[in-house]
Amino acid sequence: MRWYVARRLLWAVVATFVILSITWALLYVTEQQALTSIQFQAAVSGGDAEAARAAYEQQRGLDRPLWRQYADYMTNMATFNWGYSTSRGQPVTAAIADALPYTMMYSVPWTILTVAFGLSIGLYSATHQYSRFDYAATFLAFFGYAIPNFWFGIVLLVLFGVHLDLVPIVFDPDAPVFSLANARQLVLPVFVLTTGSIASLTRYTRAEALEYVEATFTKTAKAKGVSERRILLLHVLRPAAVPLSTILVADLLGLFIASSYLVEVVFGIPGLGQLSFKAIQNQDTPLVLATTLVGVFIAVVGNLLQDIAYTVLDPRIDYGDR
Amino acid sequence: MSQHQRGATETQQELSLLSVRDLTVEFETDRGPLRAVDGVDFDVERGETVCLVGESGSGKTVTAETITKLIRMPPGRIVRGVAELDGRDLLSLSERDLRAIRGDRIAHVFQDPQHALNHCYTVGWQIREAIQVHEDVSDAAARERALTLLNQVGIPDATTRYDDYPHEFSGGMKQRIVVAMALAATPDLLIADEPTTALDVTIQAQLLDLLESIQTEYDMAILLITHDLGVVAELADRVVVLYAGKVMERGSVYEVFDTPAHPYTQVLFDCLPGRGRPLRSIGGTLPDLHDPPPGCRFASRCEYARKECHTGDQPPLYDVADAQTASCVYYGPGGDPDALRNGQSEGDPDG
Repeated sequence: MRWYVARRLLWAVVATFVILSITWALLYVTEQQALTSIQFQAAVSGGDAEAARAAYEQQRGLDRPLWRQYADYMTNMATFNWGYSTSRGQPVTAAIADALPYTMMYSVPWTILTVAFGLSIGLYSATHQYSRFDYAATFLAFFGYAIPNFWFGIVLLVLFGVHLDLVPIVFDPDAPVFSLANARQLVLPVFVLTTGSIASLTRYTRAEALEYVEATFTKTAKAKGVSERRILLLHVLRPAAVPLSTILVADLLGLFIASSYLVEVVFGIPGLGQLSFKAIQNQDTPLVLATTLVGVFIAVVGNLLQDIAYTVLDPRIDYGDR
Repeated sequence: MSQHQRGATETQQELSLLSVRDLTVEFETDRGPLRAVDGVDFDVERGETVCLVGESGSGKTVTAETITKLIRMPPGRIVRGVAELDGRDLLSLSERDLRAIRGDRIAHVFQDPQHALNHCYTVGWQIREAIQVHEDVSDAAARERALTLLNQVGIPDATTRYDDYPHEFSGGMKQRIVVAMALAATPDLLIADEPTTALDVTIQAQLLDLLESIQTEYDMAILLITHDLGVVAELADRVVVLYAGKVMERGSVYEVFDTPAHPYTQVLFDCLPGRGRPLRSIGGTLPDLHDPPPGCRFASRCEYARKECHTGDQPPLYDVADAQTASCVYYGPGGDPDALRNGQSEGDPDG
């Protein structure tokens, strides 16, 4: 177990290192937007474009040997010296620190609601297979699964924000975190995001739980006189949690890497998604890099936690290492 | 075994430990209801071993798992019948009352030891669960008892193996652990559903020996489900032969092996190798249980079938000998049992 975790931890470090190196290499070979515009200006004003380039490179340290640039980059990354965002006029880390709470405001409720509803609806469906509830849950799950988040968000905003005037249309970033006003403006984004994720988790939970509801060991437990609820929680949910944790981590990554862009732009939430979106629009390279790396680190850490969760949940998994 | 038989005759007037009457179970399928068990009657007396014998699909497992309602409902449905434990019908009990019976008075051992234990928990944890579900004892006391059980079923080095997971045991060892778990609350009846089928031959013999020894020690009745007549000969006091959800024949192991009465039982013995006769297989297949034909269920495959065998209901269980009955018109009024090969299929239960 300890050896297994140690190996996983080491692998996470290696993966991070590799990702950072590839990112550096990509940035190195990419044409520098700022440089192009400096050269253009120099040429327009009758100066020497090559001299401007040399000055730019010297100023940024790009004339130094490759390995020095690489080492500097890695040191900066490791010490969270992630550069300065020109479009926002503040250090990149500060911009992320400003945006992160807004993303948390909907992703924390999202996680809680997805796990609570996805697991319970899925488990109930599995134990009451082909009942009326199961059919209704299946229908809703396919609805939530099929409907595109950004479109659903706009429709709900038009309906509840414009026509019914129940929720504000413009997001107010200054609303206190734990206030009714903040809750009202977060209801729709959270609802839009959870429909899809609850739907998918429900279906996976139902399928996984069904496998164990019908397993011989569940019958053994029942024959021992164990109560239905204990069987469901200890004998069905525990083994089913292995694949489900994988799906949950994947969903969480999907939230940060894809859904957050759409939802934050539609609802005007100044979180990580919008920060990244605007950074791309403004060609603010350090900020694009940083917001992308946040997603990458979540992926690495998520996978690490998932691997550790596996061995806790299913003792057969680290068996080969003993 | 003679002791068990004496016990059986003495308690004949009293209540049987388990008494199953007219048990009828259907399963909802895409092709409509399938009647897996149809009017099955049998008794299990205290301390004796009753074998439910029959080929795959004859309703043995469904019968056994309906007694404590382990079958999934739906799709399963108990159409009618009772299963009385000491005169108390289990099938009409509330889930809560039934839970108190399961594991405590009636325990189960299933066919497939590879999947009978939950792979997420140590074997110790799982035996302890079986104890603590029925008895409010401390973890330490339950552990002591679980270790005793593990020793009893022959798990070497039980103290260290207690914290091992199921995947660290062999199939035979797993089945021993399942047996230990079944013994946790000293049940009156152990229902063992083909407990040796998934094991290799030498392990089978060991496990049967184990079942026999714990039966004596715990004075426990065993309802053994098997298609292996060798196992029947080894362990059974009485035999119930099932075919397509119906009881074909009932009797003591000596009677049924010496003079199998029902034509189905007779051909069943012909399928057994090593009896000095050419091996035979039974032609045809089980009747369709969605829409069983009228008359005797075995009629279409029976070489003695007469016209009346294809009409009406399954014949009642007619008396053949002392405690042997067969559901065959040849033993009914006007029937001529000698027309069947009665007595020719001599089988020695100890042979």
